[in-house]
Amino acid sequence: MAEKSNAPRRKSRREFLRKLGTTGAVSIAGTSLLFAGSKTGNSDKTPGSKVKMLDQNNRLVEADVSQVSPVSVKIDAGYLNKKGRKGLPGRKFVMVVDLARCRNARKCMKACQGAHQLRPEQHHINVLEMYDEENGASYFMPKPCQHCDNPNCVTVCPVDATFKREDGIVLIDNERCIGCRFCIAACPYSARTFNWAEPKDAEKYKDVPYDMELNVPQKKGTVTKCAFSADRLREGKLPYCVSACPNGVYYFGDENEDLVTNGTTRETVRLSKLLKQNASYTLMPELGTKPRVYYLPPRRS
Amino acid sequence: MKNYILLIFFVLNFGFVVNAQEWTVPAEEAEKVSPYIFEDDFVTDGEILYENSCTSCHGTPTENNFMPFSPPPGDPASEQFQSQPDGALFYKIQKGRGIMPVFENILAEEEIWSLIAYFRSFNKEYVQPEFDYGDEVLSELKFDLDFDENIDKLVVKVFSDGEVEEGIDVSAFVVGMFGKFPLGKTKTNELGLAYLDVDPSLPGDKQGNLDILVRVRKGYAIEKATTSMKIAEPAQQTSLIEGRHLWSTGDKAPVWLLVTFLLIVVGIWGVILYIIFGLFRLKKIG
Repeated sequence: MAEKSNAPRRKSRREFLRKLGTTGAVSIAGTSLLFAGSKTGNSDKTPGSKVKMLDQNNRLVEADVSQVSPVSVKIDAGYLNKKGRKGLPGRKFVMVVDLARCRNARKCMKACQGAHQLRPEQHHINVLEMYDEENGASYFMPKPCQHCDNPNCVTVCPVDATFKREDGIVLIDNERCIGCRFCIAACPYSARTFNWAEPKDAEKYKDVPYDMELNVPQKKGTVTKCAFSADRLREGKLPYCVSACPNGVYYFGDENEDLVTNGTTRETVRLSKLLKQNASYTLMPELGTKPRVYYLPPRRS
Repeated sequence: MKNYILLIFFVLNFGFVVNAQEWTVPAEEAEKVSPYIFEDDFVTDGEILYENSCTSCHGTPTENNFMPFSPPPGDPASEQFQSQPDGALFYKIQKGRGIMPVFENILAEEEIWSLIAYFRSFNKEYVQPEFDYGDEVLSELKFDLDFDENIDKLVVKVFSDGEVEEGIDVSAFVVGMFGKFPLGKTKTNELGLAYLDVDPSLPGDKQGNLDILVRVRKGYAIEKATTSMKIAEPAQQTSLIEGRHLWSTGDKAPVWLLVTFLLIVVGIWGVILYIIFGLFRLKKIG
């Protein structure tokens, strides 16, 4: 019986490896041409005229038309893997959660689970009710991965599957993960979950090459965690949870710029001022994990 | 029971009556067209406004997930919305009806037009009708930027058709990765100069550059541009994975860890080899 149920899975894995060998077959998008400049800009080859384009760090740059040539990028597993390990240079991502605004709408969780192929009981971000039995006081606390600067989970990983990038994001590589769950035991914030069963929509994502930044497709028997929506950040967009919030709970931004943007109102404020003026704190600072997620207290007088 | 059926009947009927009532827009209002050009930036402004003020009832455009009210709020990307002229949409947003709030005193005219620009971005066939500026001539705006280090102020000199002029609106922003941080809003003085405060503690990039977006407006003429200016002190940007830590990847493991590990490996293999060597020697003697 057990053999029977295992048979199709083994076959699919072998097929997957074979596909990995022939890179051409894996690349779903085939060769995507990164055109710099518009159609008119391409035909207008007179040197001296400039075109505007976005570089890898999403900065608007200008270059001479004669210098620009189309680049072909094969979007296969190898490319995605290399890209995922790299991180956005010169960035230090940071999140601020304003607890006073959270009304338990749980839109962040929904958006996250939709993007990362998660079952309803699996969370990359979870909204917890903090309840004080004695006084009956309660508030809601969204809790994503804290993307610590001193991450215990990365320390204990025996196979280098989970790692910290230079932009501060702690990611996990499904392809390397052996499912030992040391990281789940090491994380004081319970930010990680394990794929005990086949992930949601496994059939749909069967042939999609693994994108580390999106952490999709998920794989049974591996650990999964919040990625600060690294795929969205590369496009210069706010994370899924941040932009889905209807109550303006989340601020997200770059510590190097000292600016954070509210996901709902799109209001941009100074990070240092926001933290200083609102008595911000981090979770379990005594552990020395140095989280990159800050909290603003749930009530203000 | 009978009462319930009657009530349901009444409610349904009521809904029908309200639905049946056309929301009529005065003809001269419906003919109104936008003086602002529906370009990408304008659409983005509208999108942000929409997400703040409209999503709760009208839902996400194209997804038809509006609230089940009577009359239904409708989806801005739907045929029902797109078949109306710009002026009618403008009037309805401004005046409101029933549970649709009155936005006349909440949103400026420019903001309402940006919302309509956002709605029209879902309609590929839409061509923006031209606004008749009449006697008003759109002046050609140009500006120069400078930063005064002594007073930490951004200086904007505005030329309207080549001349300096008083009272032209100037606003400036620092362009961040996800949004624009406002530096302020002011008007030009009689020399055509506008001064905007820049917080000296704002960090720049490695060269001390900040991306400054300046927007100049006179009547319906708008001019904006983003310039990279050396305003801040060059920032020392350190990588978060610099140095050797317990959590670093293998090639950047702490030295003490590498040494201890190697000593243990060498020690264990040494003992094993010593024993094997000893066994061989025993055999030789025996």
